[in-house]
Amino acid sequence: MKLNTPLVTLLVGAALAVGVLVTSAVWSASTSSASASSAAGATSRTSPAAPAAPAGPATTATSAPSSSSASAPVTSQATAAAPTAAPGATASVNQADVPSQADYVAQVQGGGAAVAVSVHGDQAVAYICNGHAVAAWLRGSAKNGKLDLTGKNGARLMVDYRKADAAGYIMADGTKYTFSAPVVHREPSERRPPGLYEATATVHGVKIKAGWIVLPNGRQVGSVEYFADSAIPPTAEAPVLDLATGTASYAGITLVASLISGTTGSGF
Amino acid sequence: MTAQPDASAPAPDQVSLGIGKLIVPSLIGGLVALTLGIYGRLHHPTGVVVNVAGFTSAGYAKSWLATIATVFAIVQVVSALVMYGKIPRVSAPSWIGTLHQWSGRIAFLVAVPVAIDCLYGLGFQTYSTRVLIHSLLGCAFFGAFTVKMLILPKRGLPNWTLPLAGAVVFTLLVGVWFTSAFWFFSTFGVHR
Repeated sequence: MKLNTPLVTLLVGAALAVGVLVTSAVWSASTSSASASSAAGATSRTSPAAPAAPAGPATTATSAPSSSSASAPVTSQATAAAPTAAPGATASVNQADVPSQADYVAQVQGGGAAVAVSVHGDQAVAYICNGHAVAAWLRGSAKNGKLDLTGKNGARLMVDYRKADAAGYIMADGTKYTFSAPVVHREPSERRPPGLYEATATVHGVKIKAGWIVLPNGRQVGSVEYFADSAIPPTAEAPVLDLATGTASYAGITLVASLISGTTGSGF
Repeated sequence: MTAQPDASAPAPDQVSLGIGKLIVPSLIGGLVALTLGIYGRLHHPTGVVVNVAGFTSAGYAKSWLATIATVFAIVQVVSALVMYGKIPRVSAPSWIGTLHQWSGRIAFLVAVPVAIDCLYGLGFQTYSTRVLIHSLLGCAFFGAFTVKMLILPKRGLPNWTLPLAGAVVFTLLVGVWFTSAFWFFSTFGVHR
């Protein structure tokens, strides 16, 4: 009797479907018991690769009259990327010039990318994005005026930071960006100053993480990571962050952005 | 009473007898589509599940696999055109039938894990037109493919049934691809 090959095809496909389904169920069950569930309540699946750096607590920033000096004007934008050697490799930073907490923000390389660095004691957070496919969050320790932060997909930041500025380079998506970022001076009354903002949400079952860098001239650059827990999250342009309300609208959902600031400790 | 197919002009009662053979496969195909849709709706989606090596994320893994399946589906259409002599000055080589069968099998089997990941991880969604169409067409595709597989061995069908079934399957898959992989690449860029 001639073999009914189309039926065989269907049956092989059905068997494959069952196999993938069972594997998915087993894998979901094992990762749900191992990893902590997200704040939204629904468990989200993380990829088996290196665990992501946890997002900072979502507290709304209040401007604290801390290390910002009221008289110093905001300095002009950072220099364009010149391939210099990493400053941290040679001379050490004068320890008297090292702040215990500071925020730095700058544009890098004319391509529209921006970088934000926040230092709070011995912890530091950095973010780079260009409003398109480049975005990376980095975390690590701050010590003796030097930062060596790492993020997903080989992201790396090596920077010397001082009271006036931070200089060094950041590697993201295989590209090296050299920059010198002036420190952000914040008016005590400023509710949403220039700096780094983030928002996380679960949109239609998919975890997203948005980051915005608001520059002192008012311009903002932001990117959204989709499937934020995966090893290399797909990245797209972020919706505009309304600084008056601190919110942005994404796929019908309102994202509430929180400031990450070393000077106030928000996000640390 | 045996009804022998007459390829040139089937008598009306033979046509209706031929079409009658489509009923059961169509019902089965409809059942497959309905089952997938109901499962996708009832099952609580878990988020992303698959992490295929070689891709930067599940979104890209699925988009590329879906694209591969669609490419093989295009091979399906072209080989079918050659088989039916619709390409001028191109005569069907002896291996065209084998190519058609295997390109179809590969397209289907590559699409299966993507569909399971979709159903299991994201579910049948209606929050936007794109995802609604994708959910509907995705379920319909597997139903239509089932129908085509079930009617292939049957004799006595009108000449247009196989090409029609193939066209429906292909159109549905392209619609599924446009509402998923094409949108994904447009939004997040084309890379691995």
